[in-house]
Amino acid sequence: MIIKNLTHNSFLKENSKLDLDDLTLGSFPNRKDERWKYTPLRALKKINFHNQFNFKTEHLSSLGLPKIEGLVIVLENGKYNSSLSNIIDLKEIELLFLNGADIDNNSQEPTQKDYFNNLNASFLTEKVVLKIKPNISINEPINFVNIISDDNCISNTQFNIDVFENSKLHIRQYFLGSSNSKDGFINHRNEVTMKINSSLTIDKFQDLNQNFNFCNEFIDQNHDSKFIMNTFSASGVILRNDVFNNVNGKNCHSELNGVFAPTEKQHFDNHTTINHFVADCKSFENYKGVIKESGVGVFNGKVIVHQDAQKIEAFQKNNNILLDDESKIYSKPELEIYADDVRCSHGSTTGRFDEEALFYLRSRGLSVKKSLELMTLGFINEVIEKSNDSEYKEFILKRLLKY
Amino acid sequence: MSEILIEIKDLECNIDNQKILQGLNLKIKKGEVHAIMGPNGSGKSTLSSVLAGNKNYEVTNGSINFLGEEISEMSPEERSWKGMFLAFQYPVEIPGVSNINFLRTALNERNKYYGIDPIPAKDFLKMVAEKSELVGLNNKLKNRSVNEGFSGGEKKRNEIFQMAMLDPKLSILDETDSGLDIDALKIVANGVNKLKSSENATVVITHYQRLLDYIVPDFVHVLNEGKIIKSGDKSLALELEIKGYDWLKTGENI
Repeated sequence: MIIKNLTHNSFLKENSKLDLDDLTLGSFPNRKDERWKYTPLRALKKINFHNQFNFKTEHLSSLGLPKIEGLVIVLENGKYNSSLSNIIDLKEIELLFLNGADIDNNSQEPTQKDYFNNLNASFLTEKVVLKIKPNISINEPINFVNIISDDNCISNTQFNIDVFENSKLHIRQYFLGSSNSKDGFINHRNEVTMKINSSLTIDKFQDLNQNFNFCNEFIDQNHDSKFIMNTFSASGVILRNDVFNNVNGKNCHSELNGVFAPTEKQHFDNHTTINHFVADCKSFENYKGVIKESGVGVFNGKVIVHQDAQKIEAFQKNNNILLDDESKIYSKPELEIYADDVRCSHGSTTGRFDEEALFYLRSRGLSVKKSLELMTLGFINEVIEKSNDSEYKEFILKRLLKY
Repeated sequence: MSEILIEIKDLECNIDNQKILQGLNLKIKKGEVHAIMGPNGSGKSTLSSVLAGNKNYEVTNGSINFLGEEISEMSPEERSWKGMFLAFQYPVEIPGVSNINFLRTALNERNKYYGIDPIPAKDFLKMVAEKSELVGLNNKLKNRSVNEGFSGGEKKRNEIFQMAMLDPKLSILDETDSGLDIDALKIVANGVNKLKSSENATVVITHYQRLLDYIVPDFVHVLNEGKIIKSGDKSLALELEIKGYDWLKTGENI
């Protein structure tokens, strides 16, 4: 993997052409790495990337998005696109765009071993920082749209969200690949800091078409905070989500939900780690996979309850439906418990739709396609219902079910 | 003379290479109610599944002519669009799919087949209100997932509610009385009777004469070893109630 044309980025190191096999980034993951065991990266590795910043999208509607109200922050091909954005002045919110020289001062050194984190840190082109002041509730979602629309373009972006004491925020993230681009790659990092008694919901939607999207997500929770993340993965060559949720204070609520629906050889991978460092917290995970046409799904969820974290309640669930013999799911729910007074459970199911149910629906006049659509809807509804915005739900469903 | 709705000729069918129906003949005209009775394993439920188009049953011989068309190769959905309805003995639970959404989809799929616009929400809801009253279906059940957590009686009522919504030409009630207490039985039977017209017909499959006190048949057929071995009027059902089936089986051998 090679990145070319880096001259636009003054903040980047001297190298105008950088070989991504460079060992300073760590070694490129392969299937011998436990965390990449089920996700081969050959398709990504063979691409020669560039990061020239061309804007190609004229309207968000051309990407199939419904009309989005309120604050909309749009990045395209790794760069802030002001003409697509709608920056309304919300007094309670501080918004910073860091690029060029600024970013150098603010970006952390690549300390972690993870390759894609290091890649993100080293090649970062746009970092958006959003802070909500203390004691503020904003119910209208704030929208963050990250587009890839240029062939072979790599976009390393970051979104930092700081939610201060007693504040409440709702974020919608859209990761989109234009339908006429291919082999683009959004390598994104989300960093969330939640202060005491704060609340944040992130709805994340991934629809990359012929492009790639990896997200590394770090969530730090202080006490009495509530974090919910719903991840909806509709399309992309390889999608990978790595969520690290660190619960550092008591009485926290952490919730990770997801629906992933790979088709036509697409590969969607969800890795989650919830670290319960302290006592008296609850966490919930519910991921649903709907896989067809040689699609591959991966779920690897890990809940770690550390030694002094007593009275933890942690529930983890992954249910999958395979619609044909060619599709695959690798499901690996994990619990690591070092405390002795906890309530934890994990479970995974994989199956097909019931033939009797299919016949029942057909006998009432539903075509096979419609029957499967309805049963799929029924299967994923539990997660979709988490949102109470009917327009958003309809949009998500349409893309997930591809009708 | 009323029109023939369905004519089944020499119907033979297998499941897992086992012969279940072995040359069944039956003719049903519009406006008629037929009861099919018979001992366990005689092929009653197989007949209903075959008529509705369940692909687990393989038709090896014979024909099913429904409204002038051969349907033995037709998909279940197309049969439904043409007016076939099976009330299941064991209605299937479909978690996460609301009853209402399911029925609306069903009606619109049929409309699509006939090139008619989808039913407007207002008309649909009006229809739901009317038809659910027919079987006293609780309002809450309409919005719940299809049959999920329904009691036995609620499931059967829901079947008749669906039947009312789809307004079929031929309704096959597969042991609709099983698992029903006497009050529920009356309600369900009452619903079926109200849906009866000179344009449609009903086939009632049952073990017991009791249901036929409430849904009065024009014809009663006895099915044994995949064939109809005796037909008569409603008095045949009463006779069976007293004598059982054995006299018919032995009679056949003489």
